[in-house]
Amino acid sequence: MSTANKSQERLSLLHIFLSFVVPGLGQMVAGAFQRGLSFLLSVIVLSYLSIWTIAQKARFPEEYIGAGTRVFFLLVLEAFALLVFLIALRYLMARFVLRDAASQAFSIVGFAVLYAIVVVLLINPLLGTIADTETLSRLHAQTAVISAAAMAAFWFWQALDAGRLGAKQKAASMTPGILITLVLIFVLGWSITQIDLGKAISEYRDTQKILGNIFWPWRVAFEFEITSNEASQKIQAPCPPGATGPPENEVLADETWISATPTCGELTVRDLTGGIEFGTEMIITGGGYEPGQIVEIWWKNPIGNPFQPRSVGETSILIDENGEFTSTLIYPSAVVPDTAVGDQIHTLIARQESEQIFTGNLSREMILALTTMLETIMLALMATFFGIIVAFPLSFLAARNLMSPISSPLRTIIGGLFLLLPALWLAAQATSLVASSLGGLEKAPIPIASIGLILVILFGFVGYSLGGRALSALNRSVAEARTSLITALLAAPLGAIVGWIVGLGVANGIVSIPLGAEVLDTTTVSTPFAIISGFDGGISFSSNPGLAVTIAFFTSLLFALITFVLALRHRAEGDIKIGLVIYTFARTTLNVIRSIEPLIWAIVATIWVGLGPFAGTIALTLHTIAALAKLYSESIESIETGPIEAIQATGATRLQTIIYAVVPQILPPFISFTIYRWDINVRLSTIIGLVGGGGIGFLLIQWIRQYQYNNAGLAVWLIAITVASLDYISSRIRERFV
Amino acid sequence: MGLCPIPLLKPYPFTIALINYQMLQIENLTKIYRDGTVALRDVSFTVEDNEFLVVIGLSGSGKSTLLRCINRLVEPTEGRIVWNGQDITAANQADLRRIRREIGMVFQHFNLVKRSPVTTNVLAGRLGYTPPSWSLINRFREKDHKLSKEVLNRMGIPDKADNRADELSGGQQQRVGIARALMQEPKMILADEPVASLDPVLAHSILGNLEKLNQEDDITILCSLHFLDLVQRYATRVVGLKDGRVVFEGDAKDVKKLSDKDFKDIYGEDAERLGA
Repeated sequence: MSTANKSQERLSLLHIFLSFVVPGLGQMVAGAFQRGLSFLLSVIVLSYLSIWTIAQKARFPEEYIGAGTRVFFLLVLEAFALLVFLIALRYLMARFVLRDAASQAFSIVGFAVLYAIVVVLLINPLLGTIADTETLSRLHAQTAVISAAAMAAFWFWQALDAGRLGAKQKAASMTPGILITLVLIFVLGWSITQIDLGKAISEYRDTQKILGNIFWPWRVAFEFEITSNEASQKIQAPCPPGATGPPENEVLADETWISATPTCGELTVRDLTGGIEFGTEMIITGGGYEPGQIVEIWWKNPIGNPFQPRSVGETSILIDENGEFTSTLIYPSAVVPDTAVGDQIHTLIARQESEQIFTGNLSREMILALTTMLETIMLALMATFFGIIVAFPLSFLAARNLMSPISSPLRTIIGGLFLLLPALWLAAQATSLVASSLGGLEKAPIPIASIGLILVILFGFVGYSLGGRALSALNRSVAEARTSLITALLAAPLGAIVGWIVGLGVANGIVSIPLGAEVLDTTTVSTPFAIISGFDGGISFSSNPGLAVTIAFFTSLLFALITFVLALRHRAEGDIKIGLVIYTFARTTLNVIRSIEPLIWAIVATIWVGLGPFAGTIALTLHTIAALAKLYSESIESIETGPIEAIQATGATRLQTIIYAVVPQILPPFISFTIYRWDINVRLSTIIGLVGGGGIGFLLIQWIRQYQYNNAGLAVWLIAITVASLDYISSRIRERFV
Repeated sequence: MGLCPIPLLKPYPFTIALINYQMLQIENLTKIYRDGTVALRDVSFTVEDNEFLVVIGLSGSGKSTLLRCINRLVEPTEGRIVWNGQDITAANQADLRRIRREIGMVFQHFNLVKRSPVTTNVLAGRLGYTPPSWSLINRFREKDHKLSKEVLNRMGIPDKADNRADELSGGQQQRVGIARALMQEPKMILADEPVASLDPVLAHSILGNLEKLNQEDDITILCSLHFLDLVQRYATRVVGLKDGRVVFEGDAKDVKKLSDKDFKDIYGEDAERLGA
């Protein structure tokens, strides 16, 4: 035991030194190349993150990275010195003071805690100097110190690790390294995301009123007739020299009245930089109101727009027991256009809403919200419906267990593809013929598109199978080698076509692949190719179209050659797993569609078909197709194979096998997933309106932008009620099926 | 059933009698899986009409592969399987389906569609006779429905027709499995360890069912088993497989004479009696 302990403490000083100078170098020299490299990369990445954060937060005027680096590494050095000092202290204590058993107790954990305490204690004296010299705020100086200390600890730990490896010992435990890294990332994350708990607490009070409106908005759900006590006073502003202003109102005995003095003065002026110059202060008195209730002060400018001048005085005033009030108000900032002529008369209004009579009707806002809510639910329904229709057949293509047995010989595929292209071209020609005979695409878009789709499928199918059969038939009548040669010769042009597209794409920047020649003719693009080949800026293809064509030509030549060689070398009897190719293609496409959020699809769809629920339906449908097809295909992949075998053994065709052995097994999960997806769609459709996809989200964002928090609250409540009840219903339906 | 499918021979009934027509011939059958496992090596034997032939062998000896090669659920690598004069291994998809519907199959794990009702599972046996387009709307001929009732009656579970398959006990499920095979009006039934997941009493009952079919309906049974007393009780002929090779071939008398020691030679040390 004691010898083992002794040998454990043996360290290689050389490796420690190497790793101290360049992190990870000691490990690399000791033979653990990957470990060393990962430590080096960790140190580089973490240091850079720290420096970047410090420099960003400090907003150093010049050379801010340099200054951040200086601060950071100075701090790292200090923390490191401290660490070494403490370790020496611990060693001496264990050696001379605490002896064996006690030094065990004085474990690494206690040591880490001590280090942390000392670092935090050290922050305060250090902060002063840094904050002064490098204009770091106190908060970010803390970030700097803690991240530097963590980095020092990490540095020390990896040097120790190198020492152990160098002495042929077991590598150091990864736990401290991972813990230190996590601390570092947490501190940096706190700083980068600008977490400020103090602000969250101190500014909560201002939010309360708005939150109240949102949490209990039901007052605006119904229509009320409001009777009000209201009185007004004319005010003149600005006050030209010699003007006396409108007369102050008299005190009335039985009616509501207000009066203000002076009635002529200057308005508050705000300039563009946020500066403010207050106007004349006036005293407002009034009477004849309901005692104990609030009166609201409004200001109406000369063109008749009323507002509550909250920033220049109290606008909600409690009436005393005599029905009177007195208050002061500074003339607010109400812009008077330069072109205004003559005396500018404003109106000061004191209004008390004394009585609200419930009319028994829903308010306009409520009706609007309910209508759009219905729109939202329907949007979700339609998207789910279309999603199912497309996802169901797709999911069979994306199921590995169904697709992997499908294979066919290379010659069938090449022959098929070779005839597929002209067949598709023919289909396109036929479609355009049909379109022109029907009077253009705009006249009858749906019939033409349907005919086009059917023609493409029909021609494509016939072309593919004919081509495949032709080459297979050829194989039976001539020698194997000759068929291989013919196959390779046919494959080369296919490769050339792919190469041409890729070449044009590279030349025009990857984005222009689907647009092809159009981009070529009209725009100047900065391309990856241009950057790689050292052109400064973009290439103007409109002035130099030959370049793109040249690139495309050589790429297609290269591709043709590669395809030819590959096809020729392919063993003739070995089948290509075409099913797996289709599977991979389907999976990839679905993953790409699914990884793009419906909100982004909605933006794309609004560009396509304009604002409104149709755009939202398209966005949700796309996402639903991808998500459902994935879930469906995974449930297909997990079915039992026994029944399939049994049904096949009865002499059933492939279609019958799917209907009788696959479908019954996947139906329950399909129903469950579909309902779940409908549930998700309802939730998504409520927010898809935020970007113009229709539904209640559209209304919600409008109301929020107009600061109508009561109405917004109404929308939020309706969303919550709908989602909760649909959630309940869907879970009940799912229970029945699963 | 007695007619020879080879048209040339048709006018000469005398020749047919002379040829001594054999139902299923397996010639030099070899199966090598993609991962290199050799499941069957050069297996040859003949199955006569109306035999109850039992294939015995350790698990992994190639019994399942052998049975599945016969209806080409597994594609043989080499060799020929001749069924009533027709080479199954060379048959195209359409012919293969016609052959498959004459050969019923019963499985160790029953392989029923668990969520479907018993009737649907049984009717599925008629899929080989049903136009594929009918299947899109789950349609079968009227006489198929009648036949399914008869078959369930015969298997002793007429009252279970509307239950879901997974609500039935193991023995009942295997009866549904046999009923499905019976719906094919088969000339032969392949039974892959039909009683391995059942208890001893049920094992006798299920094998009794198969024996009855063998004797009353003249259906050839090709069955894999691994309990010696079951083999001795039911088999009219036995083929023993070990590591994909035929190591034993004998008729009912030979089987009766099989001692535990002989049995162990085929099975290795794992041999066991049912003990019921």
